[in-house]
Amino acid sequence: MSVLDLRDVHRDFGSGASLVRALRGLSLTVEAGEFVAVMGASGSGKTTLLNVAGGLDRPTRGEVLVADRLLTGDRAALAALRRRTVGYVFQDLNLIPALSALENVMLPRELDGVRTAQARTEAAVALADVGLADAASRFPDELSGGQRQRVAIARALVGSRALLLADEPAGALDSTTGEDIMKLLRARCDSGASCLMATHESRHAAYADRVLFLQDGTLTESPTPSAPAHTKEDA
Amino acid sequence: MSIRHGLLALLTRGPRYGYQLRAEFETATGGAWPLNIGQVYTTLGRLERDGLAVRGAEDAEGRHVYAVTDAGRAEAARWFASPVGRADRPRDELAVKLALALTGSGVDVRAVVQAQRASTLATMRDLTRRKLGVAEPAQALVLDAQIFQAEAEIRWLDHCERSLR
Ligand SMILES: Nc1ncnc2c1ncn2[C@@H]1O[C@H](COP(=O)(O)OP(=O)(O)OP(=O)(O)O)[C@@H](O)[C@H]1O
Ligand SMILES: [Mg+2]
Repeated sequence: MSVLDLRDVHRDFGSGASLVRALRGLSLTVEAGEFVAVMGASGSGKTTLLNVAGGLDRPTRGEVLVADRLLTGDRAALAALRRRTVGYVFQDLNLIPALSALENVMLPRELDGVRTAQARTEAAVALADVGLADAASRFPDELSGGQRQRVAIARALVGSRALLLADEPAGALDSTTGEDIMKLLRARCDSGASCLMATHESRHAAYADRVLFLQDGTLTESPTPSAPAHTKEDA
Repeated sequence: MSIRHGLLALLTRGPRYGYQLRAEFETATGGAWPLNIGQVYTTLGRLERDGLAVRGAEDAEGRHVYAVTDAGRAEAARWFASPVGRADRPRDELAVKLALALTGSGVDVRAVVQAQRASTLATMRDLTRRKLGVAEPAQALVLDAQIFQAEAEIRWLDHCERSLR
């Protein structure tokens, strides 16, 4: 079953002389359990792609299906589908300053209608998964940039969403913490979730099942895993 | 990679048979540099010739145990203390290839860059997968060395591609 399906998606910004054609007829299918990485230069459209895939932005043309349902029409239905199915890690993290780390992570589950005690337990586990068990009661402005980023990841992981959309999830993290996050995402996918991740870091992309390059508004795929390695010995 | 120094370093841990050295070397390095037993015995022969190791008496099964000498111990310590110079590594075929592609005609340099990047990334994915499967931190670090080298190559390729615009 495909969890995400983009069909000939276009996204234009502005018009006339200031027209930016960020996505130009892009198609992509992400299967259940698949971890897909998207790489591309700054401004190549990675964030635009994730926003459109998650229903946070609408394509100018083309179709987006999440869990086999078309992301169109009814706002309330769209919002519900989004909330239940998709976990997001944004480039700007959107943590709520007035809530502690734990409360920020609890929020999506409380919106799911889960009891507070249960939401609290799940949030504590998610924070422990990202190595922040000790920081649960701290507020966003009492955390480092990398710690805030990990809170945002915990928030996306809580409640076992079918689709994780992650925009540079390990951007502000040191190499070992970043790898721990990649292992978490990998493990999520191995247990059936799907993940679409934008990244500049090839080391992180290497955790994915597929790596796509975004260029000129469309995707090109790198060859399947065991492609021929170096031929340095041939020299 | 200096097999000679690698085996010498293992011998400083205690006397070893050739087959033991081979297994320990491969375990420590996560299988990154498979050795054949012939290479091991050739190298041990040279260590013995140079006075860095001594060969013990033959055992019942016709095998010899090797032990490090004082000179061997000193050489191993010197090896650990000396940084590896860039010049000790093989010349960079990829850089040479790109230079020739750029200065010649009739070669699609961008295609060369993209094919290389896809291949290096695939290698990196294989290495990452192997890393997730190893239990020993030392093995993971050896694989990491190759992963970070591949990463550097990809960054350089990205840089080349942007410079070509
Ligand atoms: N709201 C907007 N209005 C106008 N142009 C936009 C808007 N959002 C994005 N763009 C443009 O669309 C293109 C793609 O932007 P996007 O943010 O998707 O890139 P990106 O690949 O995520 O870059 P980065 O790696 O820097 O995060 C850029 O040229 C950007 O300037
Ligand atoms: Mg972006």
